[in-house]
Amino acid sequence: MRRIVITGMGAICALGHDAPSVWKAMTEGVSGIGPLTRFDASALRSGGIAAEIKQFDPSRHFAEARLAFLDPLSQYALVAAREAVEQSGISFDGERASRTAVLVGVGVAGEETREGLYKRLYEERATRFHPLGIVRIMTNAPASQISMAHGITGPTFAVASACASSNHAIAQAALMIRAGLVDAAVVGGAEASLTLGLMRAWESMRVLAPDTCRPFSAGRKGLVLGEGSAMFVIETLESAQARGATILCELAGTGMSADAGDIAAPSAVGASAAMSMALRDAGLAPEAIGYVNAHGTGTVANDSTETRALHSVFGAHAPALAISSTKPMHGHALGAGGALELIGTIGALRDGIVPPTLNYLEPDPACDLDYVPNVAREKKIDAAISNSFAFGGLNAVVAVKRMG
Amino acid sequence: MSNVQQETFDIIAKQAKIELDTIKPESTLKDLGIASLDAIEVIFDIEEHFNINLPNEDTDFDGGTVGQLVEAIERQLAQKTSE
Repeated sequence: MRRIVITGMGAICALGHDAPSVWKAMTEGVSGIGPLTRFDASALRSGGIAAEIKQFDPSRHFAEARLAFLDPLSQYALVAAREAVEQSGISFDGERASRTAVLVGVGVAGEETREGLYKRLYEERATRFHPLGIVRIMTNAPASQISMAHGITGPTFAVASACASSNHAIAQAALMIRAGLVDAAVVGGAEASLTLGLMRAWESMRVLAPDTCRPFSAGRKGLVLGEGSAMFVIETLESAQARGATILCELAGTGMSADAGDIAAPSAVGASAAMSMALRDAGLAPEAIGYVNAHGTGTVANDSTETRALHSVFGAHAPALAISSTKPMHGHALGAGGALELIGTIGALRDGIVPPTLNYLEPDPACDLDYVPNVAREKKIDAAISNSFAFGGLNAVVAVKRMG
Repeated sequence: MSNVQQETFDIIAKQAKIELDTIKPESTLKDLGIASLDAIEVIFDIEEHFNINLPNEDTDFDGGTVGQLVEAIERQLAQKTSE
């Protein structure tokens, strides 16, 4: 079987505008959560908080003519993809162009554009819709824009599974490489849906925390939304070695499952199945895993269910795992979640630092494992998994391994 | 039975498709077989009907009883009239 490695990564979220800044903030336990500034959120019952990207000036990244085509969703994806491609040193000349895939997980779509135009349509009774609305809003816009920016002509599309979109995209890319369809992929996730409409919709599901996000802790009240993108260059080990590329880590395996149960309530059975499959696919024993980047949303249901699933998959090894949720730092970035969390997972492998679970108050009896509360920890990690469990009962887990 | 309680029970019965007389003040929504998003929908219907906002603290779907829910609604209604 073809081995797959990660040779580039890029990121943008509330913690910073590139992967090194994002990772540094994770090790320092910085939280990007604060009052929403993009629109008047004072009427929101959920406290009007989120992990917003701040001080982002699109004109520093894109020419004006190009910017007209780009919702923030695509802007973030393009910024992250450019960083990942530069770091990997890969070029898409000749046959490489068609032997590379672009897969971007997106949970929602270009919401800022959509809401802005709908506001004009329904509230201001405008009779014309902006002609670039469709190309900015469409869910596949980030994938298309990345393929255009880098001249990549291989299989390119969006992958949608709500909060698991990134991990499903990474799994899909790995399968394409293993099948011999392509030799490399630019893959990750993006989301930019901090709008009044979406915030209201989440609020009405009663899953938003009014105070902050405190995964696995007693007193947790829900999730806090975030936004951004993380993108990776993955390729065959052979291709990376031939190019003399720096290998960040091995993408060892992936696991996917569906709960086939409730549309919203999580299932320990479905989550366990995805984790077990990722371990099997990676050829890793449960004891080989040192770190789990948990889905850890901060809702009562997710965190206790995920804990039960971890017990069932890891058995006696479960208490020895360092488990953390980085969502109190970058927020729940939905379709970008798994990709941003992979930045933290790769950081843990490479630097031997486990990012903490912030805002932890005290143990909840239903969450009885080691969640690395509040402060980062030094620990040598040889292999790790990153969990994403989505509404709709869709689960995807990525397993990574240190190289040599 | 107060009007608020009567109207609340009607909403629950309609949403959960259960007989009105199976609902007792001491039942929890869980006892009545109303879980997950169905419970959240019941709360939404109640909010729409009475034009009030019920804070998350007042909607304990697992342990909270229907009687407590009626009390929470009455509190919100009282607050609305005093405003």
